Amino acid sequence: MRHARPEIAPDRKRGRLRLLVRSACLLAAVAALWPLAPGVNSSLWVPALSPFVALAGAIATRELQAVAWLGMVVGVVVLVKRRFFCRWVCPMGFCLDGAGSLGHRLGRRSVHVPLLGQWIVLLTLGGACLGYPLLLWLDPLAIFTGVFSLGERHLGCAAWLGATGFAAVLAVNIAWPNVWCGRICPLGAFQDLLHSGSRSLRFVPGRKSEGESRLSRRAVLGVAAGAGSAGIVGLVHSDKRRPLRPPNAREESQFVGLCTRCGNCLRSCPTGVIERDLGGHGWASLLTPVLSFREGYCREDCVRCTEVCPSGAIVCLPTRNKASVRIGLPRVDMNVCLLAEDRECSACARWCPYDAIRYVFSEEQYALQPQIDPDKCMGCGACEAACPTKPHKAIVVLPA
Amino acid sequence: MNDSMNRRDCLKVLGISGLATGLGSTQSQAQSVGESSGFQSSVIASRKVQSDRVNATFTDGKVIQPSRELAILDTTDVLVVGGGPAGVVAAIAARRAGAKVTLVERYGHFGGLWTGGLVLLVLGHIVKGGRQVCQGIGEEIMRRLDKLDGAIIDRKPGVNPTVDAEAVKYVMVEMIEEAGVQVFLHCWGVDAIVDGDAVQGVVFESKSGRQAIVAKVVVDATGDGDVFASAGAEFEHRSHNVGLVYRIGNLDRIDKTPDSPAPKRIGSHTPVPGVNWVNLRGPEVDGLDVATLTRMEMNHRKYIWSHIQKTRRTPGYERVYLMETAPQLGVRITRVLRGLKTVTLDDLKAGTTFPDVVGVGGSENGGHGPWQIPYGALVPAKIDNVLAAGRCISAEIRMADLVRLIPNCFVTGHAAGVAGAVAAQDGCRPREVDVAKVQTILRQQEACLA
Repeated sequence: MRHARPEIAPDRKRGRLRLLVRSACLLAAVAALWPLAPGVNSSLWVPALSPFVALAGAIATRELQAVAWLGMVVGVVVLVKRRFFCRWVCPMGFCLDGAGSLGHRLGRRSVHVPLLGQWIVLLTLGGACLGYPLLLWLDPLAIFTGVFSLGERHLGCAAWLGATGFAAVLAVNIAWPNVWCGRICPLGAFQDLLHSGSRSLRFVPGRKSEGESRLSRRAVLGVAAGAGSAGIVGLVHSDKRRPLRPPNAREESQFVGLCTRCGNCLRSCPTGVIERDLGGHGWASLLTPVLSFREGYCREDCVRCTEVCPSGAIVCLPTRNKASVRIGLPRVDMNVCLLAEDRECSACARWCPYDAIRYVFSEEQYALQPQIDPDKCMGCGACEAACPTKPHKAIVVLPA
Repeated sequence: MNDSMNRRDCLKVLGISGLATGLGSTQSQAQSVGESSGFQSSVIASRKVQSDRVNATFTDGKVIQPSRELAILDTTDVLVVGGGPAGVVAAIAARRAGAKVTLVERYGHFGGLWTGGLVLLVLGHIVKGGRQVCQGIGEEIMRRLDKLDGAIIDRKPGVNPTVDAEAVKYVMVEMIEEAGVQVFLHCWGVDAIVDGDAVQGVVFESKSGRQAIVAKVVVDATGDGDVFASAGAEFEHRSHNVGLVYRIGNLDRIDKTPDSPAPKRIGSHTPVPGVNWVNLRGPEVDGLDVATLTRMEMNHRKYIWSHIQKTRRTPGYERVYLMETAPQLGVRITRVLRGLKTVTLDDLKAGTTFPDVVGVGGSENGGHGPWQIPYGALVPAKIDNVLAAGRCISAEIRMADLVRLIPNCFVTGHAAGVAGAVAAQDGCRPREVDVAKVQTILRQQEACLA
């Protein structure tokens, strides 16, 4: 229970300093995430600070991404200083402290909850071993980042849903003050695990305390359960309803696990083609980024969404390689296409940045038909965005 | 009342007798030239054996055309070759800008593919958001069509209107005559008259034989770039779909009660009730190759006939009939000029503005933003005294389907006409023309430049 209230400062001076540092960190996080912030890719810094995301991502993908170093540094610090991140940096924790005091003032009392956080971490890491980090989306920094969905250009249902995680956590902390930070938060629990793990390494193995042996039992159990569930997800998951994912996204079953739903990719997209999945592709995919080319397309010179993904669900892509990464392939519905009625339309071929569409005359139909060169086409959706037919587009990009 | 009636009757009688006298005098004149007699026709001239004939000869397996002197039909400031949407607007614009203008057209009517090709749906006068960028003389034509009964439908903001071809031919005759343009129909421009790199006029072939028109500036509104190509200007020769439009009638007599699905390719409505026009895009071929053009004409007519028969076998559609196929084959793009500047898709996407802008282009369904047309896209890179107008202006291949739209032809025709008049009046080459002056006149003529 000693982890439950880590926020109490030893003296007032230290308390004031901590208040100052935390305010500065909150301000810095807001500045980095604000959609209008001029800093290039600064939105990556906040969710990438999480060592939980960094480690789970590294285990799941079997590679150490460039973005992981921030989380790794934080991880090393908390090895030495327990819950240092929570006490001094976490912008989410700072907000939740405020919510907690409000709860106290409203007469709410903290409630005894089992240490859910540790189970979340263990399940997730266990799942990550099979490539599917189950509950990575509960990372508090990703939830905090999700609030900034409200800054999206099209303030629709999806933007509000992106912010619901934060609202829910806030509500929980008002109702039962500090229950999130102390008992549920996987990032907090991860720090605890890291710290106690490092301590147990420091001591002689024979002198294990009862608490530590309980922890290792729990660890084995949790990891096994996580791996088991990930295995079931992998078996049950079908690629049939696979949505269109941002360029260079990982394989679908891994993507939905790795994605923290932070919404960074949505906000980084200059053409606004990334939307949140609102349940059209199964529960596992809920709130993950999907592409919609009704209004715009995935520009041939843009790799911004790949640069801001904190967990590596979308793999960082150099601009020069963009033109060789396939997103999908378009399919033409000749029942809708204007060419079937011999109308003067050449919108899809004109807009295609890869010169992949030709109109071929069919002697049999005595009409033209768009023909897509699958070697040239990258599925950027320029054709779909340009297609003038309503309400159904005659050319639609589908997952390849 | 009675008195005035009597006076009018009296005048009528006088008029008829005057006409009769005139007719009699021609007849007597004709009779003095030839031997033949008869009321219905008269002899204009009779052929004598000519000793100074200069026919082509067939020697050593080669056909040789000897050089000969040609009659000069006309001398003018601005000569517009081609009487389609671009040429007609160019001629009117140049005349209104104060130049002496001559317009020649290979067929017997104005409007080009708009009328002769039955391209009745006018696509391309709007941009994204529905703003109309085709203004000036092109818009004046549309407004005049508005005033006529049954000449145009769907004339609403943001919508593509459909016209009646005969109404367009009529309005164009009216406007050309009002402007005071010298016109020669049934004249096919066959050769540019060139001195070094400067065009000085054009040679025509017609029933009157091979004749020349000498001009200070020539506007090439042939669509195929016939003039600049023969003058030696650089161009790109492209293939595109060559189709044939047709009209079908009795669509107001369809019996919609039978349960069978509606036939395909029923086209879209026209100002004539019960008559639809049906587009046909055809295969991508070389629109300059006469054997290809012949094959297209014949294949398309066979297809259209059989297709209509199929339509008539659909229950409820038995009375639908083929009213006409267009007199003119639907050639979309052939030669495209290599100009001082080129209209590009990247410029369209970027919304590039040009200091020498002479017009703004629209798109089929308002799918693009406005794209500026620089004056340099009308001016050949090397050859002087000729300006391109219409679908053959300097544009990259991906812009072809926008450049060739009727309203965009109005816009480039308008610009070429005014620029030609300014060059002729200022005595300079078109490439040296004062573009600011051209822009001022275009604005005065209500063209849209932004």
